[in-house]
Parts: sequence; structure tokens; C-alpha cells
Amino acid sequence: MSILQDIKNAVRSRSIHVSYVDVGSCNGCDIEVLACLAPRYDIEQYGIYVHNNPREADVLLVIGSVTPQWVDKLRNIWDKIPEPKVAVAIGNCPISGCVYNRRGSLINPPVSKYIPIAAQVPGCPPRPTEILSAILSVAPLIFKDYEESKS
Amino acid sequence: MRSIVYYIREFLRPEWLKKFFFAKTAPLVTPSYFKDYPTLTDKECTGCFSCMMICPAPGGIEVLRRKDQWVPEIYPGHCIRCGLCVEACTEGVLTSGRILDVTRRDGTALRSWYHLEVDDALCMRCGNCCVSCPINKQEDPQLGSTGTSSSDEVIMRIEGGRVRILHEEKCTGCKTCETHCPNGAIRVARMVEGAHEEVEA
Repeated sequence: MSILQDIKNAVRSRSIHVSYVDVGSCNGCDIEVLACLAPRYDIEQYGIYVHNNPREADVLLVIGSVTPQWVDKLRNIWDKIPEPKVAVAIGNCPISGCVYNRRGSLINPPVSKYIPIAAQVPGCPPRPTEILSAILSVAPLIFKDYEESKS
Repeated sequence: MRSIVYYIREFLRPEWLKKFFFAKTAPLVTPSYFKDYPTLTDKECTGCFSCMMICPAPGGIEVLRRKDQWVPEIYPGHCIRCGLCVEACTEGVLTSGRILDVTRRDGTALRSWYHLEVDDALCMRCGNCCVSCPINKQEDPQLGSTGTSSSDEVIMRIEGGRVRILHEEKCTGCKTCETHCPNGAIRVARMVEGAHEEVEA
């Protein structure tokens, strides 16, 4: 049992599937996530794969302050991700609304009001290395011994 | 045939196999010039709040009173790491990346003043702004209750039935005039301008 669990942990720590959703940001953080995919940072050498489909994902990167149109759709996306799952807030926007958090703007941060957030990466935008290290440090914590913690 | 043998031998070299299966990008280190969140130096904060006033992000920085000294605090979920607070501080309390070195090398600084503007369409010439202004009271204790004054040293006075601003540079930005204006006609704006010293060659 424990050997099987060790194998599962080892595999899961090297195969993290990521999907990202932009719920109303300036696209600065999207560009930083994109830079993670590029050869300079190369997210796949750590076994992190990026999909555009939440049904294939383990980790959801939430970017942007939540606009009213995204409130129900973000919940839908979160429900589509199979267990075990984890959401990471990228940038200042999901945490505080950043520079959009002013009178008259149509946003409703923080994103933790709508879906459970496991980690936050502050920065406007955060460095790709910060995003990478956040995913790498939070994913094993959630996925390690998942079956045992569930029962 | 020879080329096939060549390729097989080429790809069976141990160093090639090692590189193929275990190649990794070198771990990236944050460069020293990266503008990270501002950190405190050992200089003492005077509590002038110029960092709070220049911060473009809502709630990015706050200057708090801790025991008997002022301490600026950065909030990472709000700060956008623009470095303007580091540039605005005249005492060099904050530091981030190489901003302080570059400003010292180039002799750049941020100059600020308060700009007073009266909207004549809204102003009803009551003179409340001139009477309530604490600097006006200091300059001319004989200031009339309608805002008229014989002194030329006051910031503003009622002259010929309208507000005339004489010495904008004396304004301290307390906004007492703004809160006492019944119509919201007078506005105090903090202006900031980048200044560059002439460097002798």
C-alpha cells in the first residue's frame, strides 16, 4: 500500500496539469504565464503541462480581478476540474483588485469569495520564477497522499 | 549505409544521451537590479507621507506610527512594485533594486507642490476659503470676515468680488479650504514633477 502510494506521490509531483483562466485583468499576468512556457523558463521541464481545458487540469491559475460576468462562470470552471484540485491566484488582482480597485470600477475582488484559493502570488505582474515556484510548492502539498487524506 | 551507422554511433554517445534525458534550464536567479518590494534602510522616517501620496496602487503603502517612530509598511497584495515611493522619499528610507543608485547618479528627484484652483462658475464669493485657511490667519491676523485682506502675503483673498490666489507656494495641502467651501468650488491638487539637476561635465 505504502509503496504504491509512494509511486503515486512521485508520479504526481512530476506531472502537474495546469489550466489558467483570466477573469478580467490587464493581460500582464497572462504574458508572465506565457513566459513560463517559453524556453527561458520552460515550465515543462518540471513536469507542468498547460491545458486550456479545466477537465484535464489539477491546478487552476486564476488571473485578474473578478468582473460581474465571471462570477458564475468561474464557479462553473472550478466545478469542472476533477479532484484533487487546487487554485492559485496569480498577481495582485485576485487578491486585492490592484489598481482597478477604485470607485466606479466593475470588479468584485478577492477571488477567494468564489472559489477556495490555496496559494497567492502577489506582484503586478509576478515574475515567472515566482509563479513556477508557487505551483511547484503548492501542488505536492495538496496531491500528496490524496487517497488517504480523503477517507 | 555508412550514414546510418554514423547516426547510430552519434546518438549512442554517453554525453549526448545524458544531455538528451537530463537537460535542464539552469536555475534562474533574481538579478540584483530587480525592483522587488521596497525594503527599509536604516534611515529614519520623518512621517511626511510623500510615499503614500505618490503611490498609484490603492492601499499599497502605509506609514504607521510604531511606538515613537514612523514606519512605512508595504502591502504585497496591493503594491505593484513601481518604485515611485522609493524615488519620492527625500530621506532614503526605502530601497528597491538599484533605484537609489540611479537617482543619485543621475541627480533626479521628484518635486511636489500644491496647486489651488477655483471654479468661477461654482464660486459664490463667500470668502470661507480665505477665512478658514490657517496660513492666511498666520500671515494676516486682520483678515476680514468676508475674506478681504490688505496684506499681499496671504495665499488667497477676495479681490473685486472674486477669489484671487496670490501665493500658491505657501499652501501646505491641509485642504481646510476644500472642506469649508459650501459649493466645492476650490480644489487643492498635489502636483509632482520630475526634476533633473544639471551635472557638471
